[in-house]
Amino acid sequence: MSELIEADDLALLATGFEAAMAEAPAPGEADQALFDLGWAELLDAASSQGSATAFSALGKTNSAACLLDDVVAQALGTAVSPDTCVVFPSPHQATAPAQRRGDTVVIDGLVSARLERANTAALAVENGDGAVATAVDAALLHVTAAKGVDPGHAYRRLSVEIAADALTPLATSGTWEAAVAAAHSALAHQLLGGARWMLAEARQHAIDRVQFGRAVASFQAIRHKLAESLVLIEGAESVAQGCLHDPDPLLAALAKSLAGQAALTTATHAQQVLAGIGFTAEHQFHRWMKRTLVIDTLFGSASSLPIEIGNRLLSQDSAPRLIQL
Amino acid sequence: MDTATFRRELEAWLDANTQELTPPYEGAGTMDEQLAHYSHVKRALYDADFGRYGWPESVNGLGGSPLLRAIVGEEINLRGLADPSPWTMIEVLAPTVIDFARPEIAASLVPPFIRGDEMWCQGFSEPDAGSDLASISCRADKTDGGWVVSGQKIWTSFIQYAQRCVLLVRTGEPGSAHRGITALLVDVDSPGVSYSPIETMHGRHDFAEVHYDEVFVPDERLIGEEDGGWQVAMDILPYERSTTFWHRGALLHRRFSDLVAQMAASGDRSDTAAKALGQAFQSLVAFRCRSRDTQHRLAGGQQLGVETSIDKILITSAELELFEAARDLLGGVVEFDDDLDAAMWRTDYLYSKAAPIYGGTAEIQRNIVARRLLDLGPES
Repeated sequence: MSELIEADDLALLATGFEAAMAEAPAPGEADQALFDLGWAELLDAASSQGSATAFSALGKTNSAACLLDDVVAQALGTAVSPDTCVVFPSPHQATAPAQRRGDTVVIDGLVSARLERANTAALAVENGDGAVATAVDAALLHVTAAKGVDPGHAYRRLSVEIAADALTPLATSGTWEAAVAAAHSALAHQLLGGARWMLAEARQHAIDRVQFGRAVASFQAIRHKLAESLVLIEGAESVAQGCLHDPDPLLAALAKSLAGQAALTTATHAQQVLAGIGFTAEHQFHRWMKRTLVIDTLFGSASSLPIEIGNRLLSQDSAPRLIQL
Repeated sequence: MDTATFRRELEAWLDANTQELTPPYEGAGTMDEQLAHYSHVKRALYDADFGRYGWPESVNGLGGSPLLRAIVGEEINLRGLADPSPWTMIEVLAPTVIDFARPEIAASLVPPFIRGDEMWCQGFSEPDAGSDLASISCRADKTDGGWVVSGQKIWTSFIQYAQRCVLLVRTGEPGSAHRGITALLVDVDSPGVSYSPIETMHGRHDFAEVHYDEVFVPDERLIGEEDGGWQVAMDILPYERSTTFWHRGALLHRRFSDLVAQMAASGDRSDTAAKALGQAFQSLVAFRCRSRDTQHRLAGGQQLGVETSIDKILITSAELELFEAARDLLGGVVEFDDDLDAAMWRTDYLYSKAAPIYGGTAEIQRNIVARRLLDLGPES
């Protein structure tokens, strides 16, 4: 995981991604626009930096582009293409979404809107001694239409049983653990991109909104809510940035959990500062807030990941230092 | 020397000298025992050269990045070989004295300080100037060859062990705020200095109330410019928020590991226990990653500033969460038990309550973040 891309080039890429995401609101169009910009090549050359840049842009723009499929596919070692989708774990979980039961495979998970256009789905199946990557015909994965809290977003539940012989084992170089770590790191950047957008909206509102003859930003109760949001965002950001240099799965889980906590707290504080207008559909805030709820649940949430992290420490009897000076 | 090589050599040396460096007392020990052992460890590190890296040659150091000092304190704290509090004074005061004091003063006084032969203290706060530091009133008036200092300071840590004190005094008009403040390096045994220790709620005499009654301080003990003391105080801040925090973070990491080991041994695998540990750990890691970025910015020669308020809030939250988790999970140990282990948890739990108060309260830090980092304009 070396740093291959210079900061200036990354900034250019980010600008290009953000523009493409803003211009193509539908998931399919957005995906294609990003592939046209070289998204697959970027993932191949510098997976963690590339996904961090793209997912920060996703968070900032609230685009419905389905890039998580590619990040997970790449880490699993399967083909990255706009025709391939991935089955993700159930909400709040990071375990493989499918289990082998005799001749049947029980799938309980989430899929993105990529499924609609995909020919093939990559599916991790738990078979007792670890998860194995398989490929399955995307047409076998039927999804019930559901709006959910965030109809503009790309993810929905998938609950289906299929015959085990419909799966083709994939000889891949990656592991499920690496796929989870890659997803954690990417999603942390998405959550933080969204949190920074919500904080910026609340900050501007606090400066513009006058009550009792002065900007509400002058009241300490409001200042401290915004300050606490920034502190949580910066703390999580340092961990998410740390993941770019260190592929440790525990560090990635911590980054996702901290980013979820930062984004959820920022959403709560920002909505309180926005007050009435932040509760309306007229203001854009609710879109970011709802997206935060969805992204927080993917691959384990700010509420479930600490349990998993705590159990991992308990089983090791100690706490690793993780990063060094 | 690169940091990885330095760490390896240091670890090897610490492994070889563990017995020699382990505190001779059980548990936390008395303050006298702690301070004596702290000096012993500092001298051993200095004489083995590890304690001289990261300090300039002008004070008998061996040069190199300040990261090396962060690593020494980290390894000592992870192994629990010395209490980090007295060490804090070196990391907070010595860099600024080296930058601002007359070179010959720094060259003669700083080496015994960093070798652990001397203890220094910091005379900033006053009864009427806590968070509002710029309102100090302890005065210094010019006299032949120096100043005469009169007034009162409070929360002066370790003065009963100290030879010298970095003192902020008012040299301008009473209302001159941060413009009329000067920094002096005062000998604690000067005639007119008296102090009475204040007992903390965890039963120690960490700090004292100090009276200065016409204390003479010679000219050469001026730190920085006359009326330039605010700049000196602000220069201290980044050091207080970099190396020192890294050391304290290592202590918190060790105590967290102790908690994990105790919980693992207890067999409690409930989600409640796992979640409390997971949350405490993620707060520690958020601080550690943030602080690493800060150490590298300092080592890279960047000017640290108000953004270190974020580091301060993160380490404070991590410390509070850790010891609240310990109190919850250990089931009455903090409240009822008196064995050595329980006494340590109780001491650490109670001491954690000071974290959002000292070094600028949690509220002041949030004010700084709001004003300077979020640019929210003035408060009403």
